[in-house]
Amino acid sequence: MFREPRAAIVFLAPALILLGLFRVLPAAVSVGESLMGLATPPTAASEAIGASINAGVGAAAGGPTRAFVGFSNYRHLFTSDPVFWGSARVTLAYSALASPVTVAVALGLAFLLKGSDRRRSLLRTACFLPSAISMSVVAVVWGLMLDPYYGLVNSLLRAIGLPPQPFLNSPRQALACLIAIAVWRNSGYWMMFFLAGMQGIPREAYEAAALDGASKSKQAWHITIPLLARTVSFVLVSNTAFNFLTFAPVFILTKGGPIRSTNVLVYESYKSAFIGLDMGRATAISSLVLAAVLLLSLAELRLTRPKHEY
Amino acid sequence: MKRAIALSVVIAALALISLPVLGATTLEVVWMGWPKNLVDAQIEGFRKAYPDIPVDIQLVPFNQLFQTLEVRLASGHAPDVFIVDGPLTASYATRGYLLPLDDVFTETELAAWFPSSVAACRWNGRLYAAPYATSSVGLYFNKTIFRKYGVALPSENPGERLTWEQAAELARKLTIDENHDGQPDTWGLILEQSDRPYQILPLAESRGARALSADGAVSEGYITSPAFIEAATFYSKLFNEWKVSPKGLLEAPVAREYFGCGKAAMMLGAEWNISRLAAFKDWEFGLAPHPYFAGGRAVTPTGGWNVGIGSRTANRDAAVRFLKFITGRDASIAWTKLFGNAPARRDVYAALPDVFKNPMWQVLLHEMDTTASPRPVTPGYLQYESILKDAFNAIQFGADPASTLESAARQIDRDLAKYR
Amino acid sequence: MSGIPSHANMNRSIAVRLAGTIAREGLFLLLAMVYILPVWWVVASALRPASSLYQYASPLTWRTFVPSSPTLSNIMGIFSKLDFGRAIANSALVSGAAVALGVVVNSMAGFALAKFEFPGRSLVFLAVLVAFIAPFDAIVIPLHLVVSRMGFLNTRAALVLPAVGNGLAIFLFKQFYEEIPSEIIEAARVDGASWFCTFWRIVMPMSIPAAATVVVMLFMFQWNSLFWPLVAAFSSKYRVVQTAIAMQITADEAHWAYLFASAAVGSLPPVALFLLLQKHYIRGIAGGGSRSETAGRDGVDR
Repeated sequence: MFREPRAAIVFLAPALILLGLFRVLPAAVSVGESLMGLATPPTAASEAIGASINAGVGAAAGGPTRAFVGFSNYRHLFTSDPVFWGSARVTLAYSALASPVTVAVALGLAFLLKGSDRRRSLLRTACFLPSAISMSVVAVVWGLMLDPYYGLVNSLLRAIGLPPQPFLNSPRQALACLIAIAVWRNSGYWMMFFLAGMQGIPREAYEAAALDGASKSKQAWHITIPLLARTVSFVLVSNTAFNFLTFAPVFILTKGGPIRSTNVLVYESYKSAFIGLDMGRATAISSLVLAAVLLLSLAELRLTRPKHEY
Repeated sequence: MKRAIALSVVIAALALISLPVLGATTLEVVWMGWPKNLVDAQIEGFRKAYPDIPVDIQLVPFNQLFQTLEVRLASGHAPDVFIVDGPLTASYATRGYLLPLDDVFTETELAAWFPSSVAACRWNGRLYAAPYATSSVGLYFNKTIFRKYGVALPSENPGERLTWEQAAELARKLTIDENHDGQPDTWGLILEQSDRPYQILPLAESRGARALSADGAVSEGYITSPAFIEAATFYSKLFNEWKVSPKGLLEAPVAREYFGCGKAAMMLGAEWNISRLAAFKDWEFGLAPHPYFAGGRAVTPTGGWNVGIGSRTANRDAAVRFLKFITGRDASIAWTKLFGNAPARRDVYAALPDVFKNPMWQVLLHEMDTTASPRPVTPGYLQYESILKDAFNAIQFGADPASTLESAARQIDRDLAKYR
Repeated sequence: MSGIPSHANMNRSIAVRLAGTIAREGLFLLLAMVYILPVWWVVASALRPASSLYQYASPLTWRTFVPSSPTLSNIMGIFSKLDFGRAIANSALVSGAAVALGVVVNSMAGFALAKFEFPGRSLVFLAVLVAFIAPFDAIVIPLHLVVSRMGFLNTRAALVLPAVGNGLAIFLFKQFYEEIPSEIIEAARVDGASWFCTFWRIVMPMSIPAAATVVVMLFMFQWNSLFWPLVAAFSSKYRVVQTAIAMQITADEAHWAYLFASAAVGSLPPVALFLLLQKHYIRGIAGGGSRSETAGRDGVDR
């Protein structure tokens, strides 16, 4: 560690300015907006109502009828909102499953495909392919493949003698389908980070272990995984955020249904903002999501702090 | 050396990204993401007639259209001209996003459109948009399937319109599980937009229900009326009791694939299918009038796109010229030929006898003149539609119609309260 | 006496090895199927003459995956009719710019966080964390305001600048630099090199593996963005790839053939980039890479 604050500031400045302007400032405005609401239900001419709704976060002028309402948007969410808790449960279930499964599959792929022979190289590319395809098309393709009546997956199930499944039509299966699609689309992408991380492990570590007669699987468990701690923590943290903020597949494939079984918080917040035109509720939900992911990330960072330095 | 290369890359990147902006006089038009070549062909006439008005047509994918407009309107960067989904006209007008157009069109000019299309452009007695397209819905049927199973074809005569009870009976006959795997190979009846109020509200209206209070502010007592719940119960039975309709078929293009590939005997669908279904091979299809409930009246969906001018436009004259062009006779004729949905101008129908003398179009034209019922007018249509759609979706998947609609009404009325 | 069991042992070990090989090959095959099949379906649909979609999905036959009369007409169509070439060029330009600027800016920040002690360090780290967690849909309206106040709404800068600073990339670089022994940097400093020189000549060349990952990451982030380009650089001349693809689905129509053709073509650049850079992920592992290539890193590790 070097104690030269001036140099540090020069190195940090460009990134901090950009992040501050384009991420932190808008996020702060958004959190601030969650403390605002309509002060009094307007009764005047419709144009005045327009101005007040218009005043959302966006209106440059700022509406006269909007005011600081403290935590009342949050209080409403916690105590009387009919959708919020269900949506929170769905979000938690989604990320609690999607994140570890994605990380495990990505890590498995990295172990399996880290060689440089032609076949592994082809397979590596194959696993990466899904993440290169446009999300709107991934959703369409999986929507068609999971079609409960004429879809490809059910055709395959029937071909091997299994009963067809309702998939996205079932309140009990829809979320699992979204998770499976997420794992399919993202595991190859995160595999890339694990491969890069393995690349940083000194070969001497393996050579020593091989001399001691450790098997391949022992080497993986006792050398690769501990020395990969930083990468695991990176992937875990970014994956948690990634999954908590999942929006596109829900928006395109299920619209939160059937019967709200896939109604994740970010989608609920989107609906509040752009359909309900209720910026207070929308930003309150997204601020809660932000706080939750931040806490989870900090916890994950602490838990995965590398124990083996080399 | 490496450093020099890297630095020049960075500088080049900076230079490239700060290329010049559009000229201030360019007319910005936000348009629905229809195929670029077709839109270009349609507005070629404008570019020729007004070479001094450069037009930038910004095509936005349908799924992102409303959100894109919402962000741009809310932050004060509205386009000069933009396409407006009919029922959203009141919402935009209420919020001051649309320029009033009362002095732009004369009464004679307005008479060129269907009265219901012009009505959908008005809010609080002022005109905020011009009609662009309208729509109608009928009952498509697969003649090949009907003949195969020896079922008499539905009549194409509006005087012999099927009742919903008869249509459901036909649907039960034609829901067929050929290979006995417990799952129909042919569905009796599919709805092209199976959870959208556009297509489902007319069922309730046919039973005598109203979709919303006349002032557009209350849904309790309307979508929870006995007639509405009866219609919703009928809707639920299609999916859950008689199982003549597949659940979760929510996307119109996929519904058309089902019907076109012979996986459904009937489809309640909009007019644009007439030209598109013709692309499927080895079959024959027909179009019967929209069914109605016995003892009720015939009601069909209608409504479509409008075009408006942003209230803060700096190019008012150019925007008006473009608006008049794109909603005018020539551009409407061109678009009808290119794309095949129902124009909102009556003079187009007279101008294209080859297209509209088709018996299927004749059925729909009759509906547009006699049974068409526009969606309710309210500044809170976005909320109303979204909540009601979720309710229909839940009912389709087996939720109890009465309690689902009651909870939807409570939610809608809370959201609409701010407009009262 | 001893010959027979040893023979059996040998047989058994061959059998075990054979079973292992079969299991591994089976796993490879299964993986390939699961990952490639849906993607292949996109490609096959792109090569099929524009027609019905369900015709080939059920019942399942070999025709589902093999177009009977493959054609390039859809792929040509998206270029000639829908101006897809311009969309590709636009996306390539803004993605390239974001990558070029992003690698420099984020690696510098990661370096500062990894190697410097300064007041407010953990606060800065928290800001970096917030930056990549902030839900985009929540910040899109305020972000739009910031960009328009700065006066570059509807320019390419509006697409590039917000994508340059990336909390995830900073995080990745920070982790990477933490593994570089400070002694190397100290040695350069003792030789009288400025901080900038040290970073540019000593640190940057070592960070190629991390930089390669960040390049792919930043590129894909920008290449896959759909909604922000629609509101930030809305002029039709800035139209990007994802917009062009998403436009094939409307409320009443999906142009399946063009949808799949544009999706297939639109995914080639990220895949090409991955192929180009993947040697940086695998060299030095399992005897694959040459020793000389990794010499720099070896010097660092000990």
